[in-house]
Amino acid sequence: MMFGRVIRRQLATVTKSNGPKLTDVLIVGGGPAGLTLATAIKTSPILSGFKTTLVDSQNLTDRVAKFYDNPPKEFTNRVVSLTPKSKKFLTQTLGVPLMHDRIQSYDGLYIIDGMTDARMALDKDEMLDMIEILNIQASLLHRLNHLNLPSDSFEIKEEVKVTNIESSVKGDPKSWPIVTLSNGEQYKTRLLVGADGFNSPVKKFSGITTRGWPYDTWGMVATMKLNPLSPFARLRGWQRFLKTGPIAHLPLPGDNATLVWSTKGNDLSQLLVQLDPKVFASMVNAAFILDDADMDYYYKVLGENPNDPATNETVIEDINQRINQVRDSLRNDSLIDEQYPPQVIDIVDKTRARFPLKLSHADTYCSDRIALVGDAAHTTHPLAGQGLNMGQHDVEELSKAMEKGTLRGLDIGSLLCLEPFWAESYPFNNVRLGMADKLHKLYGTDFPPVVQLRSLGLQITNNIEPRDQPIIDMLTEEDLRNKISTTIPDVYNVIVTDLSYGCGQSFDVVVVSDIFQGKNKLQRSRLVNSSLKEEIGSIHAFSCKCYTEEEWAKIVI
Amino acid sequence: MIRTAVGKTISAKQCQKLTTLNVIRFKTTTASKDEVDHFKQLAPSWWDTDGSQRILHKMNLARLDFIRDTLNKTVQVKNPDIFMPGYNYKEFMPESISHTIENEWNQSLAQELIKKQFKVLDIGCGGGILAESMARQPFVKNVLGIDLTPECITVAKEHAKQDPALDGKIEYKEIALEDVKGKNYDIVTCFEMLEHVDKPGDILEHAWRRLKPEGIMFISTINRDLVSWFTTIFMGEEILRIVPRGTHHLSKYINASEIEEWFQRKHSRDHKLLNLKGTMYIPTQGWVEHNCTGIGNYFMAVKKLR
Repeated sequence: MMFGRVIRRQLATVTKSNGPKLTDVLIVGGGPAGLTLATAIKTSPILSGFKTTLVDSQNLTDRVAKFYDNPPKEFTNRVVSLTPKSKKFLTQTLGVPLMHDRIQSYDGLYIIDGMTDARMALDKDEMLDMIEILNIQASLLHRLNHLNLPSDSFEIKEEVKVTNIESSVKGDPKSWPIVTLSNGEQYKTRLLVGADGFNSPVKKFSGITTRGWPYDTWGMVATMKLNPLSPFARLRGWQRFLKTGPIAHLPLPGDNATLVWSTKGNDLSQLLVQLDPKVFASMVNAAFILDDADMDYYYKVLGENPNDPATNETVIEDINQRINQVRDSLRNDSLIDEQYPPQVIDIVDKTRARFPLKLSHADTYCSDRIALVGDAAHTTHPLAGQGLNMGQHDVEELSKAMEKGTLRGLDIGSLLCLEPFWAESYPFNNVRLGMADKLHKLYGTDFPPVVQLRSLGLQITNNIEPRDQPIIDMLTEEDLRNKISTTIPDVYNVIVTDLSYGCGQSFDVVVVSDIFQGKNKLQRSRLVNSSLKEEIGSIHAFSCKCYTEEEWAKIVI
Repeated sequence: MIRTAVGKTISAKQCQKLTTLNVIRFKTTTASKDEVDHFKQLAPSWWDTDGSQRILHKMNLARLDFIRDTLNKTVQVKNPDIFMPGYNYKEFMPESISHTIENEWNQSLAQELIKKQFKVLDIGCGGGILAESMARQPFVKNVLGIDLTPECITVAKEHAKQDPALDGKIEYKEIALEDVKGKNYDIVTCFEMLEHVDKPGDILEHAWRRLKPEGIMFISTINRDLVSWFTTIFMGEEILRIVPRGTHHLSKYINASEIEEWFQRKHSRDHKLLNLKGTMYIPTQGWVEHNCTGIGNYFMAVKKLR
């Protein structure tokens, strides 16, 4: 074990040095976002010269790093889905060796509306990877450790908290902030990065305001054991929208799966978290197959007789019986695997946990000397599984902005250097936060007209070809350019500009072709619009200019 | 038609200015009182990147891109292990491979550049925007910034103190160019400066003398044409107000061709034009380079031959 070189454990006695220590980047928070940023800086040939310090309140050496060499047998409960984009950034750009035997790829999500039984399958090759957050963190620490960096290049301060942050020149936000740690040490830093979660002290210091709302909804996670006898016909994720909120069942390697169950109000989630594991496993099975009315009945019975062995027995028996009734009513047995997730037989000990859900988005991600990444900048409903991926995108954009700024001789703590980071990542995240929030609201209601409409939506979507999902795929400049060049004859030149910073929401297009000869403005744009009919439907704003080659030549010269 | 008419009349006058002064009787590189006063007013907000100088801060990004681009062309990668295919490899190779090739290439260019450790003279440094960016480059040993507005020098000195990484790499002096003693600078820069002096020919001559053989002079200014008037004075100062009013005077603008002509006439044997690019400001994208060097703002790099 070489961790001593990178991770220095704090000794009880710390000599107070003269004045604060200097560092170029101080990252508060050793979660996936913070560790990814540290790795991005230290593996970049342009940024690796910056002295980087990472502060975390946990013991990363014991709790996290050892996960890489001695992983536990069972899967941990904090599991996320990694998009191909995030995975590429981690493995290819940063060279992080993820623990592949603990990752499960799956080919789609099967969505069921519990109140009307409308269904939709989203199939896609290697759409997402299910991965434990500890796997990401430990792999990043492994990568950092193998860089063999001296402590004047990179240092982790663990089991310490940030107790105070102040500007080194009072009232001058452009001066380097001084960060005081709970062990008495002080750091004066060129750039202070808040990767410290929703209640970020760095965000508080920066004065950046956050907009958002709590959902009065609790999320619950658990690692589940599946029945090894049920044939795993489909490796896919399952999601069902109940009256009380969505429940998702996502695959892990072997006979494991992970659960994300969100429920309205404090009481229900409290009840579920305290249930006997066997009953809880049955309740998960029931939630994917039985009606809301049945669930309400079980909640009531279990709530009135908390942890009474006899009640537990009755409930389990009743659930099994009703599930069998539903299965028997199916036309043939293969539909069981097609329509319902594999049966859960147990919950791994101590993996059940709950947390309040909220949506929040900071107004900006940076100010002078400050950058916010990950949950410090935005928190979202785990429904669409975008939280971690947005954090990875933040880090990618932040390190890009720092690289570009460094090449141009900027101070990496200056707002001028950090601005592009915010400009690139804010619209990207805002679209995703908005979608997850709207999905939550749409599916968080039992108001009949809304339920009918959304079910109709699901049914219709399921009956046409699987369409690209906007959360996973977006239109790019390339897509439009190709489409125009192939559908409009005699194309001489196409210029497509995405005005929404890569969100695929707003495009400006210039098409040069002699087919426009003799046509007026309206006829020309009709021609382009009809060739892009499908694409335009998913775009928020689209403007098009059409020229003949002759007209174009005049403009260009 | 108007453009050529205006262009011609002023151009003759300007050319004279550039070429007549062979004998220097007094400090011809001194800036006029008006110009000094103008920049004195700007000094306090020089480093406010959201304030009146924002567009200059943005332009500085393009300057550094141009400088890096030019310098990269002057060094050669000697490592035989790194091979850059002669064809357009990005089209044919998988993204990850072309990405690796590009990275290795850029890294070895950077390593070659670092060995050079340039000494830089920044003429008309103002509040030190360019001087600081240059001093942070790993291939720069030190930077001397000179300016005739004392308030700007004070601001520049104060600002440089805030970054310990600049300690010992940067020096500012309130002196005229001809009082700069050293004649061994690797890089001399006159960015957005020639259009503010009365005798640009003298500045060029003095700047050229401070450059050592094989050194490079970077120049940027504005072509004297209607487009420049429209963008820098009419739109920039009057309509959009993104440039402080009174910053520019059309009659002081110099065409890129006039500078080339000056070098041909005065230093026909020992200069080589390394790079010349037009640059223009697009509000959503910042400053972008283009190849129409006869219009609007431009950057130029001239090498002093042995």
